[in-house]
Amino acid sequence: MRVPEYATEVKKYFTWMGEDGICCTKVKEGSEIVLEDALENTSVVTSFYKDKKFPIMIDARGIKSMSREARNHFSARGRDSKTNSFGIIVKSPISRVVGNFFLGISKPSVPTKLFETEDEAKAWLKNFI
Amino acid sequence: MPNKIDTKFSNNNRVNEILEVIYAFARLDFNKKVAISGDDDALDGIGTGVNMLGEELNHSSVTLREKEQLLKEIHHRVKNNLQIVSSLLSLQSESVEDARYLNMIRESKNRINSMALVHEMLYKSKDLNKVELKEYIQRLSQSLVSSFSTERDNVAMQLTVGENIFLEIDKMIPVGLILNELISNSFKYAFTTPEKNEIKIFLIRAGDLLKLEVSDNGKGIDEAKGKSTSLGLQLIRMLSEQLNGTCIFRNDNGAKFELIFPL
Repeated sequence: MRVPEYATEVKKYFTWMGEDGICCTKVKEGSEIVLEDALENTSVVTSFYKDKKFPIMIDARGIKSMSREARNHFSARGRDSKTNSFGIIVKSPISRVVGNFFLGISKPSVPTKLFETEDEAKAWLKNFI
Repeated sequence: MPNKIDTKFSNNNRVNEILEVIYAFARLDFNKKVAISGDDDALDGIGTGVNMLGEELNHSSVTLREKEQLLKEIHHRVKNNLQIVSSLLSLQSESVEDARYLNMIRESKNRINSMALVHEMLYKSKDLNKVELKEYIQRLSQSLVSSFSTERDNVAMQLTVGENIFLEIDKMIPVGLILNELISNSFKYAFTTPEKNEIKIFLIRAGDLLKLEVSDNGKGIDEAKGKSTSLGLQLIRMLSEQLNGTCIFRNDNGAKFELIFPL
């Protein structure tokens, strides 16, 4: 996933709002995500909200680990999330494991799907714009 | 570039490390984690999965401990509340002189105490779920002997109860109340002579059934039945039904009650 120049960079993520209305976030290579990182990411994502919830595409291919607390936060259960769907790109064994845990155990509160490519994820997420 | 032997050796070490972490989980030690090499290969994937499972197991075991603690507290509070009700009845009985009302208050107190004892034993038990019948019957009998000691201190209790028979609360409460009624009835109505008065409690397990017998060597059921409160007998029949059991009263050198019910 190509990161545009205008992307907001935080410790473990690059995040931006695409022209197509899909929010994108890319996990930096080798990142070990804990709750603090998840909150930082949410803060950036929330800043894109105007009056309508939007889909988000998450490129998790560079992830090294994600703590239980971070997964629970991203599941958006019990909090007012500004996103209405998650398309997660996974490829490597670690990102697949994290993605499947997120789907199965953390149980996100919005429609969520795992994809291998950006195009597949975008095609699905367009349904939520 | 590492050669094949180096890679195999390294992978063996990583597999062993993953196994060590799984062994730790089996010992309920969820603090150990697999080190992720960063190669993002299959072993890293397995290691990540094991680490995440460890986090989930740790959370589940904490939740389970919290629930156990809560259950313990609930049993403790229920027991305390029942004891408060029992104490209130005692206080109230101080202003009562009529023997009939005093007797009714004592009956109510004994019924409450038989239930409080179940909750007390539950919060002290290991699994918070089951009560050992032998200990319960011993303690209930002692409590009833003490309750009737002022008017009848010449009754011998003989208990024959199988070891390691456990009942859950939904069965233990009715069994306790039945025992309380039967023992109280014997104390109150059975005996006409001051000597050789006996109450026998016999309880055995036969497969999936429990057989309970409560008998005395008093004057027998017909006379006793006439004098006993109808509430007591109604309660025994109702509670026997609640246990899905069958019960009979008969005379056999005194009053004898038999109840068979499924575990």
